[in-house]
Amino acid sequence: MIAPRLANRLLRRVLPEGTRGETIRGDLLEEFHARPSRWWFWRQTLSLVVRYGMRRESPAAARSDSMFETIWNDVRYAARSYAKTPTFTLAVLTTLALGIGASTAIFSMVNAILLQPLPLNEPDRLVYANEVNAKLVRISTSWLNYRDWRQRARSFEHLALTRDEPEALSAVERPQRLRGRRVTGNFFQAVGVRPALGRALADDDDRPGAPLMAVITDGFWRAQFGADPSVVGRTLILNERPATVVGILPRGFEYLRPYDLFVSMGPIADSPGLNQRGNHNGFYAVGRLRSGVSVESADRELRDIAAQLEREHPDTNTNISVRAEPLADRLVADVRPTLFALLGAVGFLLSDLCVNVANLLIARGAARQHELAVRAALGGGRRRLVSQLLVESTFVSLLGGGLGVAVASWLLRALIAVAPEGTPRLTSVAIDSTALVFALVASTICGLVFGAFPALLASGVQGQHALIRGRASGFAAGSHRLRRGLMVAETALALILLAGAGLMIRTLQQLAGVETGFRPDHLMTAQFALSGPRWTTERQRAFRDELLTKARAVPGVARAALTFALPIDGSQWNSIFIVSGKPIPDRAHLPSSAFTPVSDGYFEAVGMRLIRGRTIDARDDATTPRVAVVNESFAREMWPGEDPIGKRLKQGWPEDDNAWIEVVGLIADVKFNGISAETPMQVYLPLNQVAMREMAVVVRTAADPATVMPTLETIVHDLDKDLPLFARRTMDQIIESSMAQSRLSMTVFVVFALVALTLAAVGLYGVVAHGVTERTHEIGVRMALGADPVDVLRLIVGQGLVTVVAGLAVGIAGALALSRTIESLLFGVKPTDPTTFAAVIVLLLGVGLAACGVPAWRASRVDPTAALRAE
Amino acid sequence: MGIYLGEFEQLLLLTVLRLGAEAYGVEIARDLEARAGRRVSRGALYTSLDRLENKGLLRWKAGAGTPEREGLPRRLYHVTPTGVAALRESRGVLKRMWRGIEHLLNEPS
Repeated sequence: MIAPRLANRLLRRVLPEGTRGETIRGDLLEEFHARPSRWWFWRQTLSLVVRYGMRRESPAAARSDSMFETIWNDVRYAARSYAKTPTFTLAVLTTLALGIGASTAIFSMVNAILLQPLPLNEPDRLVYANEVNAKLVRISTSWLNYRDWRQRARSFEHLALTRDEPEALSAVERPQRLRGRRVTGNFFQAVGVRPALGRALADDDDRPGAPLMAVITDGFWRAQFGADPSVVGRTLILNERPATVVGILPRGFEYLRPYDLFVSMGPIADSPGLNQRGNHNGFYAVGRLRSGVSVESADRELRDIAAQLEREHPDTNTNISVRAEPLADRLVADVRPTLFALLGAVGFLLSDLCVNVANLLIARGAARQHELAVRAALGGGRRRLVSQLLVESTFVSLLGGGLGVAVASWLLRALIAVAPEGTPRLTSVAIDSTALVFALVASTICGLVFGAFPALLASGVQGQHALIRGRASGFAAGSHRLRRGLMVAETALALILLAGAGLMIRTLQQLAGVETGFRPDHLMTAQFALSGPRWTTERQRAFRDELLTKARAVPGVARAALTFALPIDGSQWNSIFIVSGKPIPDRAHLPSSAFTPVSDGYFEAVGMRLIRGRTIDARDDATTPRVAVVNESFAREMWPGEDPIGKRLKQGWPEDDNAWIEVVGLIADVKFNGISAETPMQVYLPLNQVAMREMAVVVRTAADPATVMPTLETIVHDLDKDLPLFARRTMDQIIESSMAQSRLSMTVFVVFALVALTLAAVGLYGVVAHGVTERTHEIGVRMALGADPVDVLRLIVGQGLVTVVAGLAVGIAGALALSRTIESLLFGVKPTDPTTFAAVIVLLLGVGLAACGVPAWRASRVDPTAALRAE
Repeated sequence: MGIYLGEFEQLLLLTVLRLGAEAYGVEIARDLEARAGRRVSRGALYTSLDRLENKGLLRWKAGAGTPEREGLPRRLYHVTPTGVAALRESRGVLKRMWRGIEHLLNEPS
C-alpha cells in the first residue's frame, strides 16, 4: 500500500524544511511500511499539521505565540474566569440558551415548511393549477376542461388531475378510513416517482369503465400488510368496491401530506357528474413543466386555453379562467404570513439577546478593567487583548448555543404539538443539520457582535492611566455611555415584541369573544360515509333513522342529529342558485350560497335560534314538497326587508330542471367557515330530500361530551360492522383548532416578549445600579452640601427614565413601521391599536421605574461621610 | 537547581539513553509504548523532542535512509551531558521524596 499522497504533500508543506522535516516524514513512511493503515497515517499527519502548521504562520514569533496555542490558551483562560463568576456565567448562558433555542426552533419550522424544496423530483418544475371564477376566487377544476387543457397545452411534460378522496377500507379485521387521493394515470410521472414494487398508474387506467386500481404508500404497506411483497395484485375493498393493488411507492415518498394510497380515475371517468362541464368536482391540476418553460408562460398558456373554452362553451365557461403557480407556494400559502411574522420576532429576540449579553459583558469588562490594564502594561498588545475578549465572548456564546440546541429540540416538540391542524409538511420539521448550522452561525455572530462592544472599549484602555484605580477612567465613562445606548435599543426591541404580543392577545380575545350563534359546549361530533353500491337510498335512510333513534335513547344524550357540514368546520357544498320573482342575473353574476342538508332536530341539537317559520322535520322527505330553511344573511341579501317565508329558490344553473324549493324557516346566522370569517349565505335542506353519503353526527350531552363516544361507536358498529367513524371531535375542539394558528403566534410572541421584558428590566437595573456605584462619591458630596434624599432619588430615577423614554420613542417608531407585516395575523384589532400601545408603554414605564427605583432608593440612603470616604 | 524536567521529558530522555545508537523517531515511539505504555501522537513526539533540543538536553545527527523510508534520513539522538545531569537531578529529587515511605507504598505480598 502506498502512503496517502495528499497527506504526504500536506506534510511536505507544513513540516520544517531540510533534514529536520525529512526525518519526520521518513519515520512516518517507515512505520507505515510496517503497519499500512491510512487512518493511522492521516491521524499522525493531522497531529503534525496542528503542531507545526500553526507555528509556521508567524515564524518570527516565539513558540508560545502560535495562533493555535494562543486561542487555546484564551479558551482555557476564559473557561477559568467564567467558572470563577458562576452567577454571571449562569445569567449569560441562560439568556443565550433561551434566545438561540427559541430562534433555532422557529427557524427549523420555517426552514422545513417554507424554505426546503418539496421532497419530489425537481420540485421547481411542479405547477399547481385550478380554475377561478369572475371574482378570481379559486374554484376547483372541471374534468372536461382539464381534458381540453391537457390536449392543448404545450407547456407541460405531464399535466395530471388529482383530488383528496378518503376511502373506507372494509373486509379487513378493523375497518378504517384511509387517506386517499384520486389521480389521473400520469400523476406519478408528473410528480416524478416510480413505484418500488409493481407498476404505477397509466393513462389506460383513466379509460371510462376501467377497473379501480390502487398504488399504496410504503407506510401503509408496512402498517397494514407488514411489508409483504405479495400484496401487489391483491384486491382491497375500498368504499365497498374492489380495487387491485398494482404498485407500492418507494419509502420516503410524500406528496404534500401523508397518504395511504392513490386510486385511479377509470371507474368515475364517465360518471354523469364529472361529464358536465359546469361541474367543478374538487379537483386541481398538477403539472410538470417542460424544461425551460417558466411558470408565468405556462399560466399564460392555460389562460389562453381557458379563453378559447369560454368561447366554445359560453353556457358553462363564462368568466371561468385559470391560475397556475408553483406547487410549493400554493401548499404553504396559508401559513406563510404566520411563519414569516414569527421569523421576524426571532430576529428581534436575537438582536435583543446580543444587546443584553453585550451589556452584561461590558459590565464585566468594567469590573475587569484593572486586570486588562495590568495585562496591557505588561506588554499585552491591543490586538492581543481584543482577540482575547472576542475569543471569550465567542466561547461563551458557542456554549450557550449548544445549550440552545437542547432547548430548541424541546421547544420544537411543544410547537409541533400546538401547531394548527393541517399545517403542511409538519412531519419533516426537525432539528436537522441546517438548523444546527443556523444555531452555530447565530451563536458565532452573537459572540462576535456582543464581544465587539467590550473589546472596542477595552482597546481604548491606556496602560498606565488605568492602572491608577481612578474614579472616572475613560473606560468607565465610555462604557456607561455605551450601556445607556444599548439600553435604549433594548427597550425599543422589548416594546416591539410586547406590542406584537399585545396585538396577538387582543386578537385571541376577540376570537374567543366571537358570537358563534349557537351553543358550542357539550357537543360531540363524528363523521362517517355511506359510500358504495350497497348503500341504496332506502338503506341510507334506514341507517340514518336507526342511528338517530338509538343515539337519542342513550342516557346522557339530550339531542342527536345529522348534518352534511358542521358550524366553524366550514362549507362542504357551495352552489349557485336563483330565486323566484326576481330577474335572473347574467351567468357571471349568479349568486352562490352554502347548501347544507341536515336531519330533523339539527338546529335544536346545535342550539341555533329560529327567527321565523319552522325547522327541518323528520317528515320532510321524498313524498312531501321540497323545503328549505335559510339563514339571516341569505334573507338579507336576497330579500332585503321582506319576509323570506314562502319564497322559493332553485339550486344550480337557471336552465337546470332542479326542483323549486320553498323557504319554510329563517334561522339566525352562525359562524360557519372558521371563527373569524363572515357568515356566508346558507340554505339548510332536509337530508331525507337531499341525501348525502358523507355526514357528521352531532350529539348534545348533559355531561362531558367525550364520554358518549364509546357508546356511539358501539351503536354504529352494531348497525354496520364495516363502517368507520372518523374525525371524532367535540365542538370546542373544532373551535380551538380554528384558532390554533392565532394561538401559536400569540404563544410565541408572548414568550418572546416576556423574555425581552425581563432582559430589559434586568439590564436597566444593572445600568442604573452601576451608575449609582460609580457616583457614590458624587452623591455623598451632594448630600453633604444639603441635597435632600428625595432630590437624589429624583436625579437617579430621572436619568434612568430618560433612557427608557428614548427607548420607547424608538420602539414605537419601529413598531408602527412594522405594523403592516403583522396585519394579516390580526382579527378585530388594528395593528396600531392605541389601547394595546398604551398598555405596553405603561407596562414598560412601570418596569423601568421599578428597575431604576431600587438602586435610586439605595443611593438616597447613602451615608454622606461613608460616601466621601469611598474611593 | 538544575533544569526542571516534566514527566514526559524524563521518559523521552531515558528512552534515548536506553536505545543508544538506534535512538530515532520510530524506535523512540515504539519503546515508549512497549515499556511505559505511552502511545503518543507524532505531533506531540517531535515537538517535545524539539523542545528538549532547544533546552540543550538532546542533540542529533542525520543517519542514512533505507528503502522503506524512501531514502529519507533518520534523526539519531543522543543525550547531552546537561541532559544526563538533568536526569540525575530529577532522580535525586524523587529518591529524596521516596526515602522513608517505601513501606507505605509497597504492594502487599
